[in-house]
Amino acid sequence: MAKRITIDPITRIEGHLRIDVEVDNNAVSNAWASCTMWRGIEKILRGRDPRDAWMFTQRFCGVCTTVHAMASVRSVEDALKLEVPLNAQYIRNLILIAHALHDHIVHFYQLSALDWVDVLEIPKADPAATSKLAESLSPWTRNSRNELKAAQDRVKAVVASGQLGIFANGYWGHPAMKLSPEVNLLAFSHYVQALEYQRKALQVVGILGSKTPHIQNLTVGGVANAIDLDSQSALGMDKLEMIRSLLDEVVQFVQQVYFVDVCAVAAMYPDWFKIGSGVKNYLAVPDLPLDSRGSAYDLPGGYIHNGDLGGVKGFQTASDTVFRQAVTEDVMHAYYKGEKPLHPWEGETEPAFTGWEAEQKYSWVRAPRYNGEPAQVGPLAQVLIGYSQGHPLTKKYTDMAIEKVAAIGGVRATPAAMHSTLGRHAARAIRACMLAELAQKHWQRLVDNIAKGDYSVYNQPVLPSHEVRGVGTHEAPRGTLSHWIVIKDEKIKNYQAVVPSTWNASPRDHAGAHGPYEASLLHTPLAKPEEPLEVLRTVHSFDPCMACACHAFDASGRKITTAKIL
Amino acid sequence: MKSILIGGIGNVLLGDDGLGPYVVRLLESQYDFGHEVELADLGTPALDLTHRITGRHGVILIDCIASDEYSPGTVLLYDKAALLSAIPERRLDPHSPAVSECLLTAEMLGASPEHVWVIGVVGASFEPGRPLSPIVRAALWKVVDAIGYELKRLGVKFEKRLQADEFGVWWAEESGSAAYTSS
Repeated sequence: MAKRITIDPITRIEGHLRIDVEVDNNAVSNAWASCTMWRGIEKILRGRDPRDAWMFTQRFCGVCTTVHAMASVRSVEDALKLEVPLNAQYIRNLILIAHALHDHIVHFYQLSALDWVDVLEIPKADPAATSKLAESLSPWTRNSRNELKAAQDRVKAVVASGQLGIFANGYWGHPAMKLSPEVNLLAFSHYVQALEYQRKALQVVGILGSKTPHIQNLTVGGVANAIDLDSQSALGMDKLEMIRSLLDEVVQFVQQVYFVDVCAVAAMYPDWFKIGSGVKNYLAVPDLPLDSRGSAYDLPGGYIHNGDLGGVKGFQTASDTVFRQAVTEDVMHAYYKGEKPLHPWEGETEPAFTGWEAEQKYSWVRAPRYNGEPAQVGPLAQVLIGYSQGHPLTKKYTDMAIEKVAAIGGVRATPAAMHSTLGRHAARAIRACMLAELAQKHWQRLVDNIAKGDYSVYNQPVLPSHEVRGVGTHEAPRGTLSHWIVIKDEKIKNYQAVVPSTWNASPRDHAGAHGPYEASLLHTPLAKPEEPLEVLRTVHSFDPCMACACHAFDASGRKITTAKIL
Repeated sequence: MKSILIGGIGNVLLGDDGLGPYVVRLLESQYDFGHEVELADLGTPALDLTHRITGRHGVILIDCIASDEYSPGTVLLYDKAALLSAIPERRLDPHSPAVSECLLTAEMLGASPEHVWVIGVVGASFEPGRPLSPIVRAALWKVVDAIGYELKRLGVKFEKRLQADEFGVWWAEESGSAAYTSS
């Protein structure tokens, strides 16, 4: 008899990812991914000026602010066929890269490393031996015995306090934890260092966007940064040099620490190359435009059907007609009214809440479909799509990862092994290395373009009175994001955001096909079903963020009983 | 980095959840603060809140509270000890509320602010695109008073301007004036 486990970490607060699995003979036999709060933010955009939409969309989610701002201005530019000056493209690209590097670092260390690293084993480690091990893996200069000892002392202090503080909720001592005390310590010292480098990446976003978490410098048609090489307040050499030096530090951390750690974890958990595959349709859009029209990109996009890498179909542009025509959203199992799957331009957002019913409606997330089928999005999709098209930068770091994993653990990963939980982590680290290299390239291109005397940052948008439609896409840290806009009489007539986490967290559709999270969990072995660490490993490997799929409001009061009433 | 942070937390698109950013705008338009104070609309920062609070002397966060225990409009104050007593939930996604978690991270780093308060109001309505509900609006003066009280305890100078700036928020229509009266 199958037993159902619900992982609903914050039961009283709405707006979160909930996972239900049925467990039979210590393996997952069925799975449901759902989101627990009503999503209807897009409706408030109707009737507004399309040039203002990005200000609102960047408030969809506090983690993915800039990505929604960017997709929004791009949707209007697509509808108006408006070009964007080169400087603006490079400035936007630098913001997107810096944001993504921040996000990928946070994801690996702060949100998922402790699924693989047992913090309570750290006090047993020998810092000198750990330092020696680290030297064999990477030239990173902050792996000294002293630095490692300091990280170990932090853990010891937290443990000695009697309460585990920030570590209170891990599955410590779980049978699926396999790393030696030294590897645990090494990874943890990088967990602490990661906090510094993610912050440096955010500073780049702040300098270019003038504020974080909500950037201020975007505008439909370009950016609002004044360029003046001699000025300290405008974007001049002072700020550009500051950006370069911050980026250099982040690049080094990504290539010498993050990438190496992911390869090491992969080498020591090789079974996880066989777990967690699920949906093998992959979708990514081209991004980081290299010209003002958006006809050449540094990141490739396309679609892979059913794991057939050889049959990959590339997209020419970020709003490729093939892509535009293929996307629909299905609400068969989502709490919305409607019968047929609808194209986002025709999309409706009328709620029909029923409560969680396994065979009926069970999620606030709609089910986006590509040619009627579910698709997995995110770094893995992007890396597989790039690799199978022979994209040189993707190939460079993918091959490097395969070599590194083989060198550490003696296991040679194949492209087929990438359809897995570890494949998603590896792909994110590969993508981070690609972005790191591209950060320096786009910085140089911006500086070179300004040096030519081009100070242009903005083309004036002209809103027609007849109806126009556009799609703005961005290959965000969690995958393909698309904002779909219909403009009429200079106002927004309809607006839909199809976000990465709705692709991945989607519920079943009218054909009964599982969404990617759901499919990836099937057959996962559980060593200790009452502590479903393995489920978390796979769900975390997608980097879920339900906030834009559905909003969560903060409720600091939830478990605190000592509030003072004023 | 300035030693005192007054940060508004919340999603401005969701009715009462926009309370924190709203209060920050209100303070900006009506008060002058000493140079050591940073006022910030933090949106819904999740784990990035860590970077905002580490290394500060004092942190005051304004937030909307979802509660089954207290009725809408109730103003609640949580101090550092109360926040540290809340054990963080296991995370499925990066966005879950993170005030306690970020504070615990700051503690682990040895860079935790000495004084931390969350001043919250229990929300009544979280409907997209709506302004603050009347019951939350009616509690604004208590929030501003509470901020003033804690600032005084920290020895921070601030004063109400004789002539307030014009007040408005871009994200929602104001129903009536933004007026609130400080006691």
